[in-house]
Amino acid sequence: MRIPWHRANPSLLARLENDVRGPYPDLRVVVENECVHLRGSFPIVSDGLTLDRYQIDVCIPNDFPDAVPTLREIGGRVPWVLNRHVNGKGEACPVVPEEWLLNPKRDSVLCFLNGPVRDFLLAQSLVEAGDPWPFSWRAHGIDGLYQAYGEILGTTDPACIRRYLQYLSKERIKGHWECPCGSGNKLRNCHLNEVRTLQMKIPTNVAKRALQRLGQDGQQA
Amino acid sequence: MDSDKYLAAVLDSQNLPEESVELEQLRTHRAEVEALLKREFGKARIRYGGSKAKGTLIRDAYDLDIMCYFDHDDTTAGKTLKDIYGSVQAVLAKHYNVQPKTSALRLRSKDTSTLGQDFHIDVVPGRYVDESDGDCFIYQNSGEKERLKTNLDVHIQHVKDSGVLDAIRLLKLWKVRRSLRIKQFVFELLVIKLLKEKKPASLAAQLKHVWQELRDATEPQSVEDPANPGGNDLSKVLDAATWSELSSAARSTLNSIELLGWEQVYGPNVKVSAEDRTGKLRAAAAAVVTPTKAWCRNA
Repeated sequence: MRIPWHRANPSLLARLENDVRGPYPDLRVVVENECVHLRGSFPIVSDGLTLDRYQIDVCIPNDFPDAVPTLREIGGRVPWVLNRHVNGKGEACPVVPEEWLLNPKRDSVLCFLNGPVRDFLLAQSLVEAGDPWPFSWRAHGIDGLYQAYGEILGTTDPACIRRYLQYLSKERIKGHWECPCGSGNKLRNCHLNEVRTLQMKIPTNVAKRALQRLGQDGQQA
Repeated sequence: MDSDKYLAAVLDSQNLPEESVELEQLRTHRAEVEALLKREFGKARIRYGGSKAKGTLIRDAYDLDIMCYFDHDDTTAGKTLKDIYGSVQAVLAKHYNVQPKTSALRLRSKDTSTLGQDFHIDVVPGRYVDESDGDCFIYQNSGEKERLKTNLDVHIQHVKDSGVLDAIRLLKLWKVRRSLRIKQFVFELLVIKLLKEKKPASLAAQLKHVWQELRDATEPQSVEDPANPGGNDLSKVLDAATWSELSSAARSTLNSIELLGWEQVYGPNVKVSAEDRTGKLRAAAAAVVTPTKAWCRNA
């Protein structure tokens, strides 16, 4: 089993505290049941003005940055409903996890706070004020996953998306395999170059996670 | 702005006027909960406690405690305190998402359109000790003792008469924003104790004193429950782990004040009207260059 990042390198905890303290002085680093949490008040600041605040808990998983932190609004303000992008267990979904894992800044917790967390909470404040969700969003459940993965892979066909992800989750790809585009041609005679390019962009562990998530959400849908 | 003026402005921003949406909603929910409890337990006596009653209410964390107390010889809700707690919980669970706390039952929405939203109400079931209707036993679902003797009026009066309400409110805000895990009432008792000799001091000096005491004491300080002095053991609530958390937060706060000033603790204090605020939120959203696309996984 992999050693949690904060035990493998305890100095990372101190660095996390230092990184967060400046922009988010109310967020505390708490280690609970072997997991690192950032907990406290998150301000929505714009032009030096604090426009709103939310009590949040961000759990930074033990296999971070290979997995995405999970966000919860713990002040009881945001309802646990789909159109507010919170599932029935109170877990917020500010971004499709694999989209974030492909972000070059994925290993920065501060970037996660400044990006997905801030966008999500800013949108909540506007919805509370009677506005629609201010940003475009993904469909709920498996459809949203197909949207996100499809954009990354350049296709909209769910079967094709799955096949691409299956190939990308393998360490090696062979030219004589059937092309994932569904043409029936051998890969070397069809989309091999595209698959190779995608391989550079999408690490195998991310493709595996995406496939796993499609399986999970497909079963629950 | 000097520190005391700044802190007074922070306090002012934390006031919730009686006609505020938050308090109106709280009153509506309170009436619904009270009606439900009266309907199910006709003889139960309903009392109100919490920050509003004590004068320690802040906008960031406003709560109402609804005491659902039974006469000392009333067994309609159950023979034992545990039975009473269970009966009240079962009745509330028909209408609310109930989160059991140590002695209270926190109410959240069960409605599909507002699922999980907090009503800011804790219901505390209990039974009067005798006919005097003062002291009360409440159930504790964790800790060594299953029951705790308490007295609502004594608690409210103790805090109200402390002479340090402003400091309590500001320290509560500090505690809430940092999600420090200490029971609010015990924290209030601690603040009152630490400021016993500091009542004439300025607000800034009072806060700094409390943080210095939290930072410098290696062992948790003991506090006494005024409703049952010597009876209720609060050392479990104010244990070494909790103290260490408070101590570390206090150290960091004092450093922040030293290096960056009070605004680093309570934030910039600029009033924005509700209308302006929405406009500024819209502008902030429009300024996001590549917003992340929210999703929702199936629960």
